[in-house]
Amino acid sequence: MLRLFTDTDTDITPAVAAEYGYRLISMPYSVDAKTVYPYVDFNEFEAHKFYDMLRNGVLPTTSAISKERYIEYFEPEFAAGNDILYVHFSRAMTVTFNAMDEAVAELKAKYPERQFHEIDTKGITTISYTIVREVGDLLKAGKSLEEVLAWAETEVDKFAMYFFADDLKFFRRSGRVSGLAATMGTLIGIRPIIYMSQEGKMVSCGKEKGRLKAMEHLVQQVADLGEDFKSHRFVIGHTDAPELAEEVGKMIRERFGEDFPIEYVVANPTAGSHAGPNGVGVCFHAKHR
Amino acid sequence: MDSIDARLYLNLIRGGAARLSAHRQTINDLNVFPIPDGDTGDNMFMTIQAGCTPASLGADCTLSEMAKAVSAGMLMGARGNSGVILSRIFAGIAKGLADVREAGVNAFSRAMQAGVDESYHAVSEPVEGTILTVFREGVEAAAGSKDLDEYFDLLVSAMDLSLQHTPELLDVLKKAGVVDSGGAGLLYIAEGMRAALHGEIAETLDEAVPAPAHADLDAFTEDSILEFGYCTEFLLRLQRSKVDLDTFDETVISDWLAQNGDSLVFFRDGTIIKVHVHTRTPGEILNHCQQYGEFLTLKVENMTLQHHENHMDERFKVGRKSYGVVAVASGSGLAATFKELGADIVIEGGQTMNPPVERFIEAFDTVNAETVFVLPNNGNILLTARQAAEIYGKADIRVIPSKTLGEGYYALANLDTEAGDAQTIEASLTEAVDEVATGLVSRAIRDSGGFHEGDYLGIHGKMILTSGPDPESTLLALADTLQAGSFDVILVFAGADAKDPDGVRKALAARYPRSEVILQPGGQPVYEYILVLF
Repeated sequence: MLRLFTDTDTDITPAVAAEYGYRLISMPYSVDAKTVYPYVDFNEFEAHKFYDMLRNGVLPTTSAISKERYIEYFEPEFAAGNDILYVHFSRAMTVTFNAMDEAVAELKAKYPERQFHEIDTKGITTISYTIVREVGDLLKAGKSLEEVLAWAETEVDKFAMYFFADDLKFFRRSGRVSGLAATMGTLIGIRPIIYMSQEGKMVSCGKEKGRLKAMEHLVQQVADLGEDFKSHRFVIGHTDAPELAEEVGKMIRERFGEDFPIEYVVANPTAGSHAGPNGVGVCFHAKHR
Repeated sequence: MDSIDARLYLNLIRGGAARLSAHRQTINDLNVFPIPDGDTGDNMFMTIQAGCTPASLGADCTLSEMAKAVSAGMLMGARGNSGVILSRIFAGIAKGLADVREAGVNAFSRAMQAGVDESYHAVSEPVEGTILTVFREGVEAAAGSKDLDEYFDLLVSAMDLSLQHTPELLDVLKKAGVVDSGGAGLLYIAEGMRAALHGEIAETLDEAVPAPAHADLDAFTEDSILEFGYCTEFLLRLQRSKVDLDTFDETVISDWLAQNGDSLVFFRDGTIIKVHVHTRTPGEILNHCQQYGEFLTLKVENMTLQHHENHMDERFKVGRKSYGVVAVASGSGLAATFKELGADIVIEGGQTMNPPVERFIEAFDTVNAETVFVLPNNGNILLTARQAAEIYGKADIRVIPSKTLGEGYYALANLDTEAGDAQTIEASLTEAVDEVATGLVSRAIRDSGGFHEGDYLGIHGKMILTSGPDPESTLLALADTLQAGSFDVILVFAGADAKDPDGVRKALAARYPRSEVILQPGGQPVYEYILVLF
């Protein structure tokens, strides 16, 4: 039988994971040399508390998990005769998947019959959340593994995510957004717009003066790039900025109508450590990213 | 010399301080630890100097009273690891001299031994090869001397020998090829004391405390990782309301600190507890200790900033960069804002203080870039900047005509060094200057043009657009006149004399819901508020 895995960097909570039968791989972050494994070290993510800590100047770091940890997750499944499909956050954003590759190679040598499949969501947080759920929805609807893998080949690139951050310092520290090197420091009142590229990286694609302009930019991206987005999941993610997220939701409604559901998701702490608080992003089905 | 009385004791201390003062830099340069804990020479000097001016004692005060007063002074002035240990040495000596009018060589020798005991006691894990060893071996060698002259001769020579051996005891010294800095400082003090005993005034005591090195805030940027933590020092007065003073055992504090920090130096003197500790989380340390008492003094320093000098060296080593920025601003908040935005150097200056050409030249030298963009941020300073640019031949200097801090701010926020060549970037910055409207609120200093002294004036360019009885209402009226609501961002820098910045922020946000209102502490003089619209 096929066992599903995803990770906590995709914003999937244990409750949502249970809906589809995903097992959650916990991706850690560290605060003051204390490493925290989401949903292992806590049961419920206290987003407001976490992001307030960032507002007060704490800069968490994130770390890759080891080969041994992947083996702990995967081996029981192989040993029980199950195959694995792991829908994960972007390979291009981390070195953790090198450790996973080693773990999988080792396990394959030990369990040559077993199959390991993966879908790279080429993103993190909201966009990965959307894709992980869409994959889960397809499997639930009875699609075969082969069909789902074929779907992912083309469809992963058709989920777009655009977002803005309040304070660049988090991104600058993590060095994970390209195109920001040219703007030199913290920009008060000026928000860079960042999107998730087809390579699975965060890329800066402009900046806007003021929050309203930044929110309008997100809405405009939906208008320009959106394709058949009403029949897919439409998700607004935020880093502890529910009012802003709802305001964006309201603007989306005004522009595109009421005839589709909008889901709101708070970004997981590991991804949030790189984005910082007060950011908002939209994820939608698009012509391209 | 047969005995030491109060007056001679103070002279010995002053002689020690004078000799240390003359060699302060030598000691500073001996710092080998990956992260110097401040500068040992300066810290030790400031510590002993604080003991040189004891509270006024009568002419006939006893040696015991004097030693206690010197020790109390050092307790208050103790800085850094070696400084704290130094203050402990003299606290021990004072204890050893309790209840004596004067001391002969034997009594003094015993007091010095008490200083050894006290210093070892102050450190949670005494490390050999440090100031502790140097002092102990000196005191041990000098014990049994027939008189004070012999005592100080033996003390100094044994300390010198011990100091030369410190690298054998401490690997870190051996690797760096130096002797222990604290031990070296103490040797200078002992030599100075010996000179004073002989009535020599070897060096005059430099009364001036070295200006605290200006922390280079660039040494810790938004991308830095807290590697070294904070040097945290405080004096805590145990409180009767919090602990039972008669039975309180301070080891409950020192044990906890030893587990929660590094480089701990800890001691208790009566109801005062002195702590020096390195920690990544000073808040936790302070909260914990406050349950036993209240703070008398407190110092917390980011140790990466203490690394200042080395950082500068490295900066020069990396060679010339393509682009640099020099901005002029006054007010700590504004200077910090410009630095955060990417200015390499912020020259202090503004409406009432125009920096001279030399300041710009120095800044250009320091930035060390092929092209330097200059944001003068004031009409008067613009000319000085242009003059400096003209005479400077070592780099391509491009002065952006920003006449207000707001214009400079917005230009810098729009700096994109990958946008093209220097000329293209200059054009984009100059264009940005035109997109911003700046309003200023300032107080009239005399009656003029229908305004009265003390009125607040809302200024835009050379025009006074509004006036009012308080800075807040003047700012709101100015915002209206400048049609703040038609801009995306309303940025307010609150000056040093602003009365109700938060009220202003709320009022602006309520009045202009479509604009984003941001309040920044600017701390600038002259202008209660600077309004930046873009």
